[in-house]
Amino acid sequence: MKHRTSPVLLTFLALAFICQGLLQRLVIFDQWTKNYNPGKGKMLNTAMSPDQILAVLAGFREITAGILWVKADTFFDQGNYDAILPLIRLVTLLDPNEIDVYATGMWHIGYNFTDEEQRSDRRYLPSALALGKEGCRQNPDTYELFFEEGWLWYHKIDDEYPNAVKWFLQAAQRKDMLTARKNLLGMAYQRTGEIDRSVDTYYNLYADAQDRYLKENAFGNHQNRDTLESNLDNMLVRKIQRGFQAESENRPLNDYDVYPPFDVGFSVKATVVEPNVIRFEGTWNVLPVGTRIRVVLRDLNYPHAKPAEMDWDFSDDVNLDPPRDQTFMQEQLFVKNRRFNKKVDMSKDPTMYPFTTDNYVMEFYYNPRSAPPHIQDKFSWSGEGMTDKNFLKTDVRPGQRVIFASLPITRNMIKRYGEWADKTPVVKTPNYAESAPDAGRDDDAILKIPSLRSSGK
Amino acid sequence: MRPIIAIASTTVGEAIRRKVLLIILLIGVLFIVVAPGLGILSARSETTVLKSFMLGVIQGVSAIIAVILTVYMIPNEIERRTIYTILSKPVQRWQFLVGKYLGAVLSLLLMMAMMSAVMALMFFLQQQSKNVGEVAELMKGPMMYFVQMCLLAAVAIFFSTFVAPLVNFFLTVGVFLVGVFFNPLFQSLQDNQNTGTLVKKAAWAINTFLPNFANYNVQNPLINQTQGIQNEGRYYLGITVYGIVYICILLILGILIFDRREV
Repeated sequence: MKHRTSPVLLTFLALAFICQGLLQRLVIFDQWTKNYNPGKGKMLNTAMSPDQILAVLAGFREITAGILWVKADTFFDQGNYDAILPLIRLVTLLDPNEIDVYATGMWHIGYNFTDEEQRSDRRYLPSALALGKEGCRQNPDTYELFFEEGWLWYHKIDDEYPNAVKWFLQAAQRKDMLTARKNLLGMAYQRTGEIDRSVDTYYNLYADAQDRYLKENAFGNHQNRDTLESNLDNMLVRKIQRGFQAESENRPLNDYDVYPPFDVGFSVKATVVEPNVIRFEGTWNVLPVGTRIRVVLRDLNYPHAKPAEMDWDFSDDVNLDPPRDQTFMQEQLFVKNRRFNKKVDMSKDPTMYPFTTDNYVMEFYYNPRSAPPHIQDKFSWSGEGMTDKNFLKTDVRPGQRVIFASLPITRNMIKRYGEWADKTPVVKTPNYAESAPDAGRDDDAILKIPSLRSSGK
Repeated sequence: MRPIIAIASTTVGEAIRRKVLLIILLIGVLFIVVAPGLGILSARSETTVLKSFMLGVIQGVSAIIAVILTVYMIPNEIERRTIYTILSKPVQRWQFLVGKYLGAVLSLLLMMAMMSAVMALMFFLQQQSKNVGEVAELMKGPMMYFVQMCLLAAVAIFFSTFVAPLVNFFLTVGVFLVGVFFNPLFQSLQDNQNTGTLVKKAAWAINTFLPNFANYNVQNPLINQTQGIQNEGRYYLGITVYGIVYICILLILGILIFDRREV
């Protein structure tokens, strides 16, 4: 018997085939790409084993992420930090809701890449911030990554505090924000120079803490209320001591500690004592301990460079491969007995200090906002009580009086090449004056702690 | 309609009596029972790992059952010559094929329902809560997997009308793997500017015309419930209609081929 296929059936078949294609392309695929794509198209470029790739492609990325994170943990134990970076990226791509991986990853990238002298590799900081931003976008309902992002600005970058405030504020808006962590917002406001906001924040937090304590007489509630009360007391005293109250009442500042400004007398000399080893010596006329002057040595044309820092926040994309052919060294110079003297050895870490280009710049920077309270009592939060004949700048950080100096240096000088092979390169500010050879050496034992009061008492 | 129902119910009975399928089902259930112990894989994401693993087991086991159940369905009837006794009665070949397919689908429904029930129970026990909403949300996964397995069974039935069981097994598994993995690959190829036009067109054709099983892998938003999905209902409806349309295509093609086949 000869079979004949019905034309109606064939037409139906053809229509059904077209219909499924249209459904797939016009209705399903876009939404699948947006909501259900297991790797958002990125995981195929990463270093997973074939079985892990299969599991991910099949849609089971969370369990693969869990296994990879366990693997990363063993690398942590072994100190194999470089191996952890791709795993962190992979796990966050596979399971963007792994808050711990984002938080640990930010900390790891921001803090763990150091040289032999435990100096952080600052080239990684934009990546740490970008990872945190991605974590916040992926996990907008919890405070944790917003807080971690703020903490990175507040503690690690230790500059440009409005960014810390921005992220702490966002963290505080989340319902699960821990009560005690909210207190840091008050501290961050201090460092932005927004003193009234800081006081208001403490008042509000204190009122909340008091309510909580009255509702439940628990130890934690009691302790938090007392801490806030102490913080608030300190802030009110400092506000008056540092002249803010007088200013708000249009009274002269004569009797206040911050007036007249104190001349810090900054000067510096950089000596290349060996190839890639520089000794920084200089003066700082402040006797109380606690001064840290930032020194940055970087490529003259380092991407996104700004005075004594870089635009840390320049990218939203996580790039775990920093500019490895560029150098960005940042160190703190501690002042003792009005002098600082520190040898910075960059000879043991060529990957961190490649010195591939010809011209470099050394930048010296002091910002009272990062200073301890007993120094701020004289200099105030924005440097109102501080001056310097040569290096006081008001345009380096808008709204702040900071000390900033910049000195050029070349690759040949740093590496002691050419004419510098037999001659010690020295770069210094014009006002630098040599002093007794022992002055300010690291082994100085006696520290004098006089008052910084303008009257000299 | 009556012959179809009769053939379907007989097929369900046969499936339930097949020891191989029952052993696979038992292994799947055992995996789901031990799933809460895997929380160790992630310190603060025990629930994530639990959901991920249990849904993975249900999908994997269901796929194995669907393939093994259906690849032998028509060839066994021909080999054992039982098909003659059926076709000698007033039963059309299309009714036989549709009946067999519906029987396979019902068997899958029973087995997947059992695994899903165990999953819900284990989830309740592990979470120690009575959050019915969360379990109901989780059940969207097995529901979509069921449509996925119906499509897989249709692929196997279609191939079983003209190829031997062993070849059918590899063909069906191959189509399933391509269908599952090709969506992410296609997306990668589409996003990659270095991909050639020809490759992109080939990927587009495969993605458009082959049965797309990846559409039904809806587990990620179910596991990570913070991920907000807009028009979720529309998506589920879309992929269900897509599945039904594709199943119809495969069954009609199967009927056309089976109608011409000498048995």
